[in-house]
Amino acid sequence: MKILLFLVLLCIPFSAIAQTFGAQEFTLENGMQVVVIPNRRAPVVTHMVWYKVGAADEKPGLSGMAHYLEHLLFKGTAKIPPGEFSKIVKTLGGNDNAFTSQDYTAYFQSIAVENLERVMEMEADRMLNANPPPEHFASEKAVVLEERRQRTDNDPRAKFSEQMNSVLFINHPYGTPTIGWMNEIEKYEWSDVKKFYEAWYAPNNAILVISGDVTLEKIKPLATKYYGALPKKEVPSRERPALAPAPAETVLTLRDPALHQPVFQRIYAAPSAHMDSEDSLALEVLAEIMDGGPTARFYKHLVVEQKKSTDVFFDYTSAALNYGRITLGAVPANGTSTQDIESLIDAEIETLLQNGVTDVEVEDAIQRLRDEAIFARDSVSGPAMIFGAALTTGSSVQDIEQWPENIAKVTAERVKAVATKYLNPDKPWIRPPVSGHLLPPEPKQEEKADVEG
Amino acid sequence: MWKDKNPKKWILLGVLFAIVLFGIVLYFSMRAQAADRFLPIHEFTTPGGISVWMVEDHTLPILSLQFAFLDAGTTLDPDDKQGLARLLSNTMDEGAGDLDSQHFQKQLSDHSITLMFNASRDQFGGELKTLTRHKDKAFELLSLAVTSPRFDEEAVSRMRDGNLSRIKSSLSEPDWMAARLINDRAFENHPYAKNSGGTLSSLPAITPDDLRAFKNANLTKDKLVIAAAGDITSEELGTAIDKIFGALPAKGPAPVIKDLDITNAGKTYLFEADIPQTMIEIMMPAFDIRDPDYYALQVLNYIFGGAGFGSRLMDDAREKKGLTYGIYSGLQDYRHADALSISTSTKNESTNEMLSIIRAAMTTMQESGVTDKELADAKSYITGSMPLSLTSTSNIASVVLGLRANNLPVDYLDGLSAKINAVKKEDIARVSKRVLNPDSMVTALVGKPENIEAEKIKELPNVR
Repeated sequence: MKILLFLVLLCIPFSAIAQTFGAQEFTLENGMQVVVIPNRRAPVVTHMVWYKVGAADEKPGLSGMAHYLEHLLFKGTAKIPPGEFSKIVKTLGGNDNAFTSQDYTAYFQSIAVENLERVMEMEADRMLNANPPPEHFASEKAVVLEERRQRTDNDPRAKFSEQMNSVLFINHPYGTPTIGWMNEIEKYEWSDVKKFYEAWYAPNNAILVISGDVTLEKIKPLATKYYGALPKKEVPSRERPALAPAPAETVLTLRDPALHQPVFQRIYAAPSAHMDSEDSLALEVLAEIMDGGPTARFYKHLVVEQKKSTDVFFDYTSAALNYGRITLGAVPANGTSTQDIESLIDAEIETLLQNGVTDVEVEDAIQRLRDEAIFARDSVSGPAMIFGAALTTGSSVQDIEQWPENIAKVTAERVKAVATKYLNPDKPWIRPPVSGHLLPPEPKQEEKADVEG
Repeated sequence: MWKDKNPKKWILLGVLFAIVLFGIVLYFSMRAQAADRFLPIHEFTTPGGISVWMVEDHTLPILSLQFAFLDAGTTLDPDDKQGLARLLSNTMDEGAGDLDSQHFQKQLSDHSITLMFNASRDQFGGELKTLTRHKDKAFELLSLAVTSPRFDEEAVSRMRDGNLSRIKSSLSEPDWMAARLINDRAFENHPYAKNSGGTLSSLPAITPDDLRAFKNANLTKDKLVIAAAGDITSEELGTAIDKIFGALPAKGPAPVIKDLDITNAGKTYLFEADIPQTMIEIMMPAFDIRDPDYYALQVLNYIFGGAGFGSRLMDDAREKKGLTYGIYSGLQDYRHADALSISTSTKNESTNEMLSIIRAAMTTMQESGVTDKELADAKSYITGSMPLSLTSTSNIASVVLGLRANNLPVDYLDGLSAKINAVKKEDIARVSKRVLNPDSMVTALVGKPENIEAEKIKELPNVR
């Protein structure tokens, strides 16, 4: 049997295995996955460590902890004093940062290739040895609260999106904002955060992604030396509750005194690439047909032809461990209400469900998406981001490398099928979408003429 | 074969050998030359007489062409037609020649071509990015957009409406509001104070004829600089560039834009907004690359606030006090004004403390200068991070265009490290005294700061 399989594999022509990025991978003995994406454009690398833990893995009441921990990883270990990590990277001519999402936490440095070894040593060190002194713990808490004010509380649109999300994801952790609720961030101490850190940060729960002027052969001994030396741990399972059905129609309205331009938006729960790769690919094509530029359906119909909107969006997010999301909406033109624009969008969706999409639309969308994959290679950090986000949300290296071939298999029937499955107002998937009307305050009598004029 | 004494064959082999040897020598001398150069920029003139700087690179089937018309930016907008240059940049790709907006855009999107025009205070510019296999179509579309844009009423009013709605959206963005306020106050009585994006009353006044007139007067070859990078040869690019830009007028009226010293030094302005965090924008006078102290200024800015993490401002305000998510300083090198700016935000009740920290950081720098380690670390970052800007085709073209827009020599980047490394502590001390004066700060605040002495601005200027 084994020999037969071997022969069959040999018969597959090498060129049939698509290599969009030419990524190579191996796994260290302690279970840490390593992905190398060679790119010889400049003598630099982007070095990233992605942890398979994010905000959705927090316990209820401790929201924002994954993100706060990410901040604290810059606050020192026994070897590196607090705040020195980024300074050392800078001294080596590099830039560094980190970010947290619902499903992953990632740390990265972009740096000249000759300094790669040093940042690998430092990054491996803080995987298990972070130890922020109490005064730094407190000041960083204040920084995170300022970050929340800056990103969310100062911005009516961000506040509104936060609430729409929390209403959509009933019974699922995606409903809690990654940065956390203000009153919960204020609560926890290092002892709480440390438990989270010790539970989740381990080589077997991390992925090393290196993109740039390197090869697998060069990386192997370095990765083995620095990351391979770290002990394997048992990590918690990422079982999460399922999204609960919520049959009632959900419409949110916020009148915010800071707002001058109304917006209509709607979020649907949808499968992620990990949940259903076939449907996910078809949804990517659908999003491109609906909003892949100024000649796509949404802009062409609502902005150019009907003149009821000045800006439109239809986005599908596929990289998630659990649910993906379709977010759509429009900025109404002067004199158009958000209700009017909602009706027009509903009509647009109705047409889509009735008539589907044409073969030409699908063909054009696929071509553009495949071309985007070529443009994606024109970057050092970009491919590392693509691989990290996909691999920490359940996709494989093969899934990414073969994405252009897989997306090409999507047909007009498949696009119509997923539109019907996920956008049908009469038969929603799991639960109906959440619609939102974000509005300025009611105009006072004397201002009305001015606003409408 | 080695016994063959046929002389003709030997001569032939000798010649071949010489050619190969010459080739090898040439190859290695070119490599040696290339190795000396940080970025191998090839400078050439097209058959039509247009100067081009390019970096040929066949790693990927992608090319980027970037261009700018210098001193043809939003500064030239008439006061009552603010947003004219920006609207031109929005409409140049909205139909050209026989193609109306939708047909033009469809051609771009069917060929995965990115064509964008842009208008800033100092220049009108654009970028064409395409896969090599569509380069002919890309050049054709850019050529149409540059030579015969249509400015159809439908497209112009659609773009105008888009800009009007963006202004209204921006009115709930504190960082945009603070930028509007600081530009108005620091550039008072200068065209730089105008709103590049237009105002709610100026945009409706702009007609297709205004767009046409602005284009014909200002997008002229004497103001044009071009940079390119990627998968194309100079011969082919030169021919394309002549087709794209060759028909433009050779010269336009020389714009009269006065140089400006930052105005309203020492003053603090507040636009009240009911938000939990106050945005802070500060500007103070600085100088540009024509000043021999410019390299010292770059190093000083890095240490003071340009570095982000590791800078003094970030250490004082974020790392020690937890007052902000971020604080940055930067050099604003406009063509007619030069400033050092500081941007940050903090909860309303900490605004005063933040301003004190900023002033104290300036005074400390003036009085005590920088340490040897700070200086060495700054040099190490500035010189060591240069290759990070060369990781994509667009980035490379944009670095090259930046050199041209700032009138820098083609080998500027090759000599940059040496100039940065030559900066001494006493240079920084001198520049600190020249630039980091708390009394020269113009400060703009947006939010509800507590206990602040500031002139209240009731309505954001040049918005309505």
